[in-house]
Amino acid sequence: MIDTARPTRPMPRTSGDGTVRGALPPAEPLDVAARRRRRAGRRRNAMTDLLGVLAWVSAAMAVTLWLASSGSHTVVGIGGWLTDAGIVAGLVATDLVLVMLVLAARVPLIDRTFGQDNAIAVHRSLGKPVLYLLLAHGALLTLGYGASAGTGPIAETIALFSTPDMPLAYLGLGLFVVVVVSSLVAVRRRLPYEAWHVIHLLSYAAVLVALPHMLSVGSVLAQSTWQRVYWIALYVLALGLIALYRFALPLVVTFRHRIRVVGVETIAPGVVSIHLAGRDLDRLGTEGGQYGVWRFWTARTWWHAHPVSFSAVPGRDRARITVRDLGAGSARLGRITPGAFVSLEGPYGLFTSRARTAPYLALVASGIGITPVRSLLEDTDLRPGEATVLLRGTDADQQYLWHETAELATATGSRLYAMVGHRAWSRDSWMTEEDLRRGVTLRSVFPRLLESDLYVCGPRAWSDLVVREARLAGVPEHQIHQERFES
Amino acid sequence: MRARVIAGGVVSSIAVLAIGWQLGGQPAVTAPTPQSTTSGSGTSGTESTSGGTGSGTTGGSSASGSTGGSSASGTFVGDTTQTRYGPVQVQITVANGKITDVTALQLTDSDGRSVQISQQAAPILRQEALQAQSAQIQSVSGATFTSEGYTTSLQSAIDKAGL
Repeated sequence: MIDTARPTRPMPRTSGDGTVRGALPPAEPLDVAARRRRRAGRRRNAMTDLLGVLAWVSAAMAVTLWLASSGSHTVVGIGGWLTDAGIVAGLVATDLVLVMLVLAARVPLIDRTFGQDNAIAVHRSLGKPVLYLLLAHGALLTLGYGASAGTGPIAETIALFSTPDMPLAYLGLGLFVVVVVSSLVAVRRRLPYEAWHVIHLLSYAAVLVALPHMLSVGSVLAQSTWQRVYWIALYVLALGLIALYRFALPLVVTFRHRIRVVGVETIAPGVVSIHLAGRDLDRLGTEGGQYGVWRFWTARTWWHAHPVSFSAVPGRDRARITVRDLGAGSARLGRITPGAFVSLEGPYGLFTSRARTAPYLALVASGIGITPVRSLLEDTDLRPGEATVLLRGTDADQQYLWHETAELATATGSRLYAMVGHRAWSRDSWMTEEDLRRGVTLRSVFPRLLESDLYVCGPRAWSDLVVREARLAGVPEHQIHQERFES
Repeated sequence: MRARVIAGGVVSSIAVLAIGWQLGGQPAVTAPTPQSTTSGSGTSGTESTSGGTGSGTTGGSSASGSTGGSSASGTFVGDTTQTRYGPVQVQITVANGKITDVTALQLTDSDGRSVQISQQAAPILRQEALQAQSAQIQSVSGATFTSEGYTTSLQSAIDKAGL
């Protein structure tokens, strides 16, 4: 239950525990800091918008390639129109596929301005439209060619199959269908993560095998046109970013820091803290609230990468992550033996104080969502009274890391509230039934809610409810920061 | 924020599309390039394999390309016509003032699709030309550019033969 009248009793400080930083409050006045954050936020937004506009322009460029090709102004007949509509659909679809690749490429600029999780959300939302465009591309061209030649779609398909590079193009289309279908929510839930991941990697193959027919069969990208040069450059850019940031950089990070497991500590039923050692871990540049994608090189776990938040800001040679067994793979993490070699992609994430735009700070965490909230609190320079923390759990088993968080709150002069109990049954709420009946709201927990950055982390359905209430209360969108715990 | 992206995206996309519209739209068939085409047809004959008509009569053009005598016999090579999908050039074989064969020396070949189209269209165009004994023939639907190039080149060959 929650007591909004007074903070929970400060928990006793453990001595000799180096996790609490007794940092001095920053000298910068609150309003000056807030103005600085707002400016930084505006810059970040401007950059995000610019990237968004760039994506739009790239799609328009795809249409322009066709517009600028000779004969686009003199399309004749139903066959001609179908054919050219098909060409445009194919060009736009391919451009969007490349945009999707870039969104998933973990490009630092995108992660720092827009957030990798937001980028993945956009990536997902593009999947189905792109597939429809690709299917339309195939269907329209088959019908268009068929109408022009006076043959039926089946005869035309057979003719297309015997055209050089076209079998590869059909293979690419088939792969795209498989990739998108495997990512539909209903299908993905039934698939083991590994199966989905392997299928998803096929999209690289799909992108590559689709290229030859664009260059050889298509007239828009014919030899010695500037369109061909542009198109190949686009491919090189997208695949280059993937190669650099998804493959090369994680390898460099992994071999530079040589991270190993030094201890696995069960801190609650099904929840383990994994203690890591490595070289120069402080130079990873991890900000509190960020996560990494970890792979533990033991016989039973090497094939599964886990996105896990840092539950403490890494020190020079130590780091700690905390994970709950959400899936079959992460349940095995509890049985990792010390000494295991660890590879790391990251750190990623914008659930950090970098994203702040308001003077005050409101942190809400539930369950395993405590991990980024704890390290965020640890990594933020706070004035007394600047931050307020609300911890939410069903029962005593969900109160792991609460103790450390309370210590950090005490050390920084932040208020901390706890709300324990099952979710309300009378209506959809992120609170307990009791607190709901008592009329507790986000505004009553965080009196300065509208001047606060609200960071929410916990189970998706629960945190969506918190965010919904914040929006209804009038918290501006740029002050709401939600960490999505799903890959 | 999203609204700004969409607004900015739409405006700049329209700008890009407008530029594309201005860049595009060259005429589909340019005027036949004036060219002395009576060069050795043996060499052009080899070129015809790239756009081969499949009519099997390519062998008929083995005689050297000679501008014809008064009663018009021999082979006559038409001008090369540029189309948006590549050049088209035909050669006619004339015996006693009658066109006995039409051979495509070059057909639209800018991309795989064009090759496919021109291979379908060429035998039909040849048949029509032999029947009509002139370049006043129907164009093949779906092969508009090939047809136009074909008839233009055919007309110039007929002119040379003085038919």
